[in-house]
Amino acid sequence: MMRRRVDRLGRIALHAAYTCQGDSPPRPMVFASRYGDMGRSVELLEQLAQATPLSPTSFSLSVHNAIGALYSIARGDLTAQSAVAAGAETVEAAFVEACGLLSEGAPEVLVVVYDEPRPAPFAHFPEQVSFPHAWACSLRPAGDGATYQLSCSASTGAPERASGDVLPEELSVLRFLVSGDARFEHHTGSRLWRWHRDA
Amino acid sequence: MQALEQEIKKLVIETLNLEDLKPEDIDPAAPLFVEGLGLDSIDALELGLALQKAYGVALASDSKENRRHFASVRALADFVSAHRKS
Repeated sequence: MMRRRVDRLGRIALHAAYTCQGDSPPRPMVFASRYGDMGRSVELLEQLAQATPLSPTSFSLSVHNAIGALYSIARGDLTAQSAVAAGAETVEAAFVEACGLLSEGAPEVLVVVYDEPRPAPFAHFPEQVSFPHAWACSLRPAGDGATYQLSCSASTGAPERASGDVLPEELSVLRFLVSGDARFEHHTGSRLWRWHRDA
Repeated sequence: MQALEQEIKKLVIETLNLEDLKPEDIDPAAPLFVEGLGLDSIDALELGLALQKAYGVALASDSKENRRHFASVRALADFVSAHRKS
């Protein structure tokens, strides 16, 4: 009965979350989205501008942690959750949050990243999301197998993007994680995030 | 009254996005909330708003009365036919 409440973004995010969760025991989760369910907010603002009553359902789902909350309610899962948004650094912020949870003793943390193109009247601003996407991964403290490091420092300017690189920037961390590449540098404004994979 | 019940069933399905249900799947005498269709308090608010828009019926803040009106599709139809303005 929860399914009917969620729009496209919620559905793809929850699909990723459920797939990654599988039959594993509940674990803390970080829901990360740069823009979240912006369509709902626009709809509510339009209703306010026209002085028509607001949809209670849309209102209840317009907060940034609504999708995670539905996951929690639908599964009866009371494990800790956070919802983060940090501009072009949203994925990095999610991993920092997840590392915090791991260092507090969580054996595993699930990170869910999801976004969709911003609706009008916000569609024309720069850094538009290219297409609806959602992915999830599970993080564990370093042990056997591949380990990763993430560090942050001042950026001295982003290099030119390689010509012919057709993958949208918001998917670059995902590409790094699945590619097996040794490193990836993500320049965002004045900061440089360095992702490093130890073989 | 049956036509109104049918209309309200459609309103419930459309308003609450009950994508797997058809009007004939809803028993007009069955409970809408918790049991039966299993709707919750947010659905009640959403449905109240839709009824207000469609029929001009105002729901009082008296929760006991509302509980009676929202008991089933049939109860809603009785309430709407007694109070409708449009």
